[in-house]
Amino acid sequence: MGGSVSKIMGKIFGTKEMRILMLGLDAAGKTTILYKLKLTNQDVTTIPTVGFNVESVTYKNVKFNVWDVGGQDKIRPLWRHYYSGTQGLIFVVDSSDTARMEEARSELHKIINDREMKDALLLVFANKQDVQGHMSPEDVTQALQLNKLKDKLWYVAPSVATEGTGIFEGLAWLSNNVKTQPQK
Amino acid sequence: MSSSLPYRSADDAGNGLPRLSPAPSLLHHRTPSSSRTSLRQPSIANVPATAALFPKPRRCKSQYPRDSSERHVEYILVASFHIDRGPIMEHQYPTAISGDESMLAELMLPDQTHVRSQDWTIFFLHKDTSADADDDASVSSKKQKKKKGKRRAADDAQSGRGDSRADDESMEEDSSDDEEEGGEGPPLMYVLNLVNTKQDNTVKRGAVVKAMAICTRHSFLHIYKPLLLLALEDYFKNPYPETLATLYNAVNSMDLSLMPRLSLLERQILQASNCKDMFIEKFEQMIHQRSIEDGAPPDDEDDPPSPKRQAPLQYTLPRDTHEFESKVVYNEIPIPVKIPTVIWPETVGDFSLIKLIQTFSAPHNTSPQAFPVHPHLTTSGPFTHPIIVLVNAMLTQKRVIFLGHNRPSGEVAEAVLAACAIASGGVLRGFTRHAFPYTDLTKIDDLLKVPGFIAGVTNPTFANHPEWWDLLCDLPTGRMKISSYVEPAPVTEGLLYFQQQASLHHYPSSSNTDPSGDNVFMEEIQRSITNRYGENAIRAKWRAYIMKFTQVAAAFEEMVYGASNLFIIGPNEELSPESPSGVQADPLDPTTLRGHGYVWSDEGAKQRELLASVSRIEGWRTTRSYYSFIQDIAAMYYPARPILKPDLHHHHSRLRALRLSAADSGAIYIAFAHAVKDYAGICQLLTITPENQAGLFYLSMGLFHPYPPVREATVDLLERIAAHPAGRHFWAQLNRFAKLAFFRIKRDRDASAQSPAGLGTGSFGPRSLVGVAMGDTA
Repeated sequence: MGGSVSKIMGKIFGTKEMRILMLGLDAAGKTTILYKLKLTNQDVTTIPTVGFNVESVTYKNVKFNVWDVGGQDKIRPLWRHYYSGTQGLIFVVDSSDTARMEEARSELHKIINDREMKDALLLVFANKQDVQGHMSPEDVTQALQLNKLKDKLWYVAPSVATEGTGIFEGLAWLSNNVKTQPQK
Repeated sequence: MSSSLPYRSADDAGNGLPRLSPAPSLLHHRTPSSSRTSLRQPSIANVPATAALFPKPRRCKSQYPRDSSERHVEYILVASFHIDRGPIMEHQYPTAISGDESMLAELMLPDQTHVRSQDWTIFFLHKDTSADADDDASVSSKKQKKKKGKRRAADDAQSGRGDSRADDESMEEDSSDDEEEGGEGPPLMYVLNLVNTKQDNTVKRGAVVKAMAICTRHSFLHIYKPLLLLALEDYFKNPYPETLATLYNAVNSMDLSLMPRLSLLERQILQASNCKDMFIEKFEQMIHQRSIEDGAPPDDEDDPPSPKRQAPLQYTLPRDTHEFESKVVYNEIPIPVKIPTVIWPETVGDFSLIKLIQTFSAPHNTSPQAFPVHPHLTTSGPFTHPIIVLVNAMLTQKRVIFLGHNRPSGEVAEAVLAACAIASGGVLRGFTRHAFPYTDLTKIDDLLKVPGFIAGVTNPTFANHPEWWDLLCDLPTGRMKISSYVEPAPVTEGLLYFQQQASLHHYPSSSNTDPSGDNVFMEEIQRSITNRYGENAIRAKWRAYIMKFTQVAAAFEEMVYGASNLFIIGPNEELSPESPSGVQADPLDPTTLRGHGYVWSDEGAKQRELLASVSRIEGWRTTRSYYSFIQDIAAMYYPARPILKPDLHHHHSRLRALRLSAADSGAIYIAFAHAVKDYAGICQLLTITPENQAGLFYLSMGLFHPYPPVREATVDLLERIAAHPAGRHFWAQLNRFAKLAFFRIKRDRDASAQSPAGLGTGSFGPRSLVGVAMGDTA
């Protein structure tokens, strides 16, 4: 009951809620992005995520509930439990980890081919743009074979999570495109 | 009407010591059809009179014998979070516990453990859920064999002593051994786990996460907390199996052998009592026996230990008999531990019902939210108290999840354990066996295979999956949610029966807004919490609530189905409305008073309450806890009761709840005085007169009964109770007014016993007593 009231209020005052799921291989920078979003101007040091983190971030009148799920390969099968109700997927790639780019591509396609994720927006952070030998956003797009995707809104944003560079641009893309999504 | 009781004077030495009246043997002669009486006969008849009433203390057995092959702790495990591979098992001691190491390692490293430096979890291992059922099953069956071996060894030791007491004892002890099993299969393995996250800049990605767990078959696993804290700290410094071995040896050297084993009735009495020295005699006796074994002079071996005698210095009596104090020496540090003397089924670890009740009561009291109506769950309408919804959900075997996002996993585990205890009341079983105090997404597929589970999670994604649960209990907000996926309650025979009845009789249901009494009950519980009654009192109230639920269910089954599995009726009892309570089946035997089960003030009250409870009772009647309760009644509760007729609980409730005629109440007092004679019988009576339900008050009212034989029978009964090791505490709490009446009646009787007319034969006595009572009835 209370939930529906706040939804109506949300409609009147123009705030939207959006459930975001943030995935990616281990050590890609997911948790750093999450806490940079949450704690804008602070330095963030993270340790490996055991399980998940979830935080709410309000940006441009959109309340993002961002789920950040641990990325070790053994726990990746659990990602699917987070799919239902997700409106946006943030996939984080370590642009300097060229060796595991193919692994990242395979995981990403597994996710977005899931029935429950077919309507979700896809935002890819080409992260760690500050590290020597990183791939450009265009190379990342190629490597992840995003151009093959049909009926999918996607965007690749370059980022340096530790400095906060690029992450709000990515969020802005999500909030601009969420309107086109059917209301949940 | 004679004011003297002839049969009393025969063996009344007037010294206040307990006596055995000849009545039981006479009863035996007069009612040979009563097989129960004749079965019990030998044990009473073969021993001297005084010994039969309160026999010289038998050799007291230990709950945890010194020579037991069963270890307190069976395994120590260490797991860590590997930055590339996720959770991994590092060491297991003394051997590997099961094949699926990764499952264990995942459980040992709870979700979000990286955001706090320390967390506790509890989980259970059993074959129902683990991926490798076979492995766990073999572990369990090995334990079972071990247990059997132990019992055989114990029996041998007894027969080796070769005296007549041994048979007697083994008979009784065997039955109490079986109580623990309850037909539920091998005991669970309880795991207490401590996980530490240490920031460390010298390692890759800046942190080390390690967890250490203790696996035990004892449900009081919380006592090991300080040890795990020390040992895990040591393990960070010395990450080798030796650290595990040190802990393993330390905890298994803990000596609990001086903790006496209590019978089921004794345990019920101890648990319901606040006396700190209840059954202290048994602890004294354990020490006495030990000092003899240790080589004390044998001359006083046959003396019963007197309460006055000082215990030898090296063994001290507990300050509170509810707990046994011992210590574990770890790395030369002695760590005191307290082990509960009484452990109810379904009571695992260290939890607080008060906390659980308060968590879900506060939001409900300030701004109640309507539940979607479900007949099994919302038994008092959409605004049913959440705790009642929870208990209903568990009784009707729904899938219950406790969610504590951003809370330590230890907190959700505690809530799960408290919920198990609240629904069980220490009476019903089958909850902990299907409980997952802490679990996570990795186990979801296994979890969903369990019909009706209760699980604790910290991951809020569970809230987004209403298809996984029927009731979601959110700890941070204190709100519960009934899933839209919950299975609708089927229409049953009992429901139709009651709908017909209701339309025929037009019981004014609208006049009573709380037909189930649950609202009043919850208000009383919350008042007790506000008035700081304490955890024990709240647990006792829930126990009474669940007991009552089973009794109401039994009455329901009798009404709808003609008979109940939940109650074994006593001899001489009939299941027909033509056999009302209080009729004496055999005019010569006052204990053949008819009547059983729960007592309502009138038929309308009964109908209203049954109608209000019909759905959840029908929902319960197909669950695990229902079937295991039926087994427990047959295997445990029924055999533990020495007095089968009359139904003490029923007739005591009649004294409490009804306005009885003098003849009716008199028949009850006389029946009690006849039936309640020996040690175990008095124990049984005391279990239905707990302190928090006025103790002996209603019995003592017999001292003011208009018929003198009733008053004197009450004196005899109270005198026996006062001399009983547990009963003396109840006697001490009796009000002064009743005690004055007691001594006045006793004095009068002793005075008249001086006259020759007071001397009669035993065989004459009871009959004349009955005659007097019956004559007055007519």
